[in-house]
Amino acid sequence: MIARHLTFPFLCLSGLALALSACGPASNRYALIEESLRAGNVQRADQIVEEAHKDYDAKSQVLYRMDRGMTLHLAGRYEESTSVLEKAEQMVEELYTRRISTHTKAFLYNDTELPFEGAPYEQVMLNVLKALNYAVTGNLQDALVEARRVDHRLNVLADQVGDKPDAYKDDGLARYLSGILYEAAGELNDAFIAYRKAYDAYLAAQTWSRTPPPPMLRTDLLRITDALHVTDEHAQYRQAFGDTPWQPPSDPQQFAQVVVVSYNGAAPRKEDQFLDLPISLDALRLVLVSKQLQGGSSANSREARAVESVLYGLNGRVVRVALPRLVPRKTAVAIEQVSLGGADRAYGTHTELVQDISALAAKQFSDQFNSVAVKAVARAAVKYMAAEGVARSTRAAAGRDATAHLIALLVGSLAKALAISTEEADKRIWQTLPDEIHVARLWVPPGSYELFVRPIGKGGGPIGRETVRAVTLRAGETRFFTERVMP
Amino acid sequence: MSNRAVSPMPGVRHSALGTSLVLALTMVVTLAGCGAETKVTRVDSGVVTDLSGRWNDTDSRMVAEAMVKEALGTPWLDNYTRSHRGKQPVVVVGTIVNKSHEHINVQTFVTDLQRELVNSQKVTFVAGRGEREEIRQEREEQAMHAREDTQKAPGKEIGADYILKGYISTILDESEGVKAVFYQVDLEMVDLESNVKAWFGQKKIKKVVERKRTVF
Repeated sequence: MIARHLTFPFLCLSGLALALSACGPASNRYALIEESLRAGNVQRADQIVEEAHKDYDAKSQVLYRMDRGMTLHLAGRYEESTSVLEKAEQMVEELYTRRISTHTKAFLYNDTELPFEGAPYEQVMLNVLKALNYAVTGNLQDALVEARRVDHRLNVLADQVGDKPDAYKDDGLARYLSGILYEAAGELNDAFIAYRKAYDAYLAAQTWSRTPPPPMLRTDLLRITDALHVTDEHAQYRQAFGDTPWQPPSDPQQFAQVVVVSYNGAAPRKEDQFLDLPISLDALRLVLVSKQLQGGSSANSREARAVESVLYGLNGRVVRVALPRLVPRKTAVAIEQVSLGGADRAYGTHTELVQDISALAAKQFSDQFNSVAVKAVARAAVKYMAAEGVARSTRAAAGRDATAHLIALLVGSLAKALAISTEEADKRIWQTLPDEIHVARLWVPPGSYELFVRPIGKGGGPIGRETVRAVTLRAGETRFFTERVMP
Repeated sequence: MSNRAVSPMPGVRHSALGTSLVLALTMVVTLAGCGAETKVTRVDSGVVTDLSGRWNDTDSRMVAEAMVKEALGTPWLDNYTRSHRGKQPVVVVGTIVNKSHEHINVQTFVTDLQRELVNSQKVTFVAGRGEREEIRQEREEQAMHAREDTQKAPGKEIGADYILKGYISTILDESEGVKAVFYQVDLEMVDLESNVKAWFGQKKIKKVVERKRTVF
């Protein structure tokens, strides 16, 4: 009889255990990727992502493709990178349709059960990277397809966001890159529209994006409005930009343009932040003792969490809420000095900040935090009630039989331990992105050169490695080069 | 006996029932993702398969057929034939620029256009720029390696009278999961001697793609 009464709680626990078995060990792949990038071994970085494919569960396939698309891009495997990023974009589109069953599961378990579709800025970066893949290989027509796609994506986003002030609803980098691409293709009118939108986007996001309009964008606007003879706009920009130096357009067909895109540092990561809420005096003591004993950096380790889960489960009066925490990792690079040295001539400029990915991630994180927190608290409460229900029903079923009572106690504690241990924040974020993206543009006479890119630290001295490559530039062409700078 | 299965504690039965429901739901949603399968069905290449709403083989074929039919039905062809004592115009396909939001394989469309034009027997087609390079290289190699009586001499290519060029562009509109895609294909036949645009054709396709926001 007792066995019959205890069957259901055991089945329930088996169900929870089954669900728990999906949890894999925490991966340190990002640390390995960053180590490879610091060592300048981009091929190894890509290999790490490829080998870790099985660690990305079915719900994180978009993230895998984002990470892989980036490392393939850095490894110079542009066609494969585009193919992987294209698939990621298709999957994001398919995820527009939300499954109630999946969301219910995530509510009962944790947010990692939701399919990762990326934040809006990460989705925009899919198109930006694809555009760069095409641009680096000289395929401007397909790069422009990505520029049109990103325009559409941002238009839809702006419609969704509405008039909400300070929201992320446009993207300065995506617009600016579109302008560069249109100008390179000779489509000056489209380039002007893109530059103007870029300037407006930088201004609109200035309070949180930590990215003012790049000075070179002002020059671009003055140059292109002059070339298009749109005199009203040109006069407005001249008035707005004051003494910004610029030159009237000379025949672009006589010069070659070099565009250097530098990815600096590492994007922020997310980690768990556990709030253990005691609902009795004993539980409060236990939580305090547990925190004192563990303390320090090991408090969030998997082992520490397992011990806490068992202790809190035995106590039965602790509710755990897991919330994500964003950990920014700012780059030490201020600018890159870019120079082209020929046989008897040299040209130089420096990069300018065009995107602060960490600021975008922080904005997204703060905008989402309230809803994530409310959901996490509600989920923790439901889990606690469910575990409490299991404990009560097993105790009731055990009756006065001492052995059965002991088993019931164990089952109740296990149920609560499981409810606590399954609490986990969704820490997925496109972490192979850089902290900042910088761009430099340089117009030079056609010929053979050596292109030097030297990172300069915030203290003013050189930092990291200088790269040199031989380039031959034809008149009228625009060549794109990318750099990965890790300090 | 059956009453013994009910908890003697008031309220416990409700609590157990609630727990059962919550946990049963957990099991159901855990297992909901199982059962995927791959199914392949062979269909005729003429069957319309609109899967994603993007530009596909059907669009390419239908637009090429319709535009060539239109091009061959307009007066420029008769005018040319009449003024050149029955000679067919020689046409080369120039660049069809993709100005759309999709990575359209323009070559497939160009091939569809060429096939329709050649099969119409009303115009003579010559190889386009890319193909010409390959053919010329082959002739150069023949000049070096082939038997003299089988070598093809340079300078005997037929110059085109007209170049067919154009654009594929799109306009997108999207809101609340409904996306309207408007494709416009513009083609023009330009007289290579005078730059006169002898024919201008346009074909439009509009598709509406609807996606549900939620499903079970």
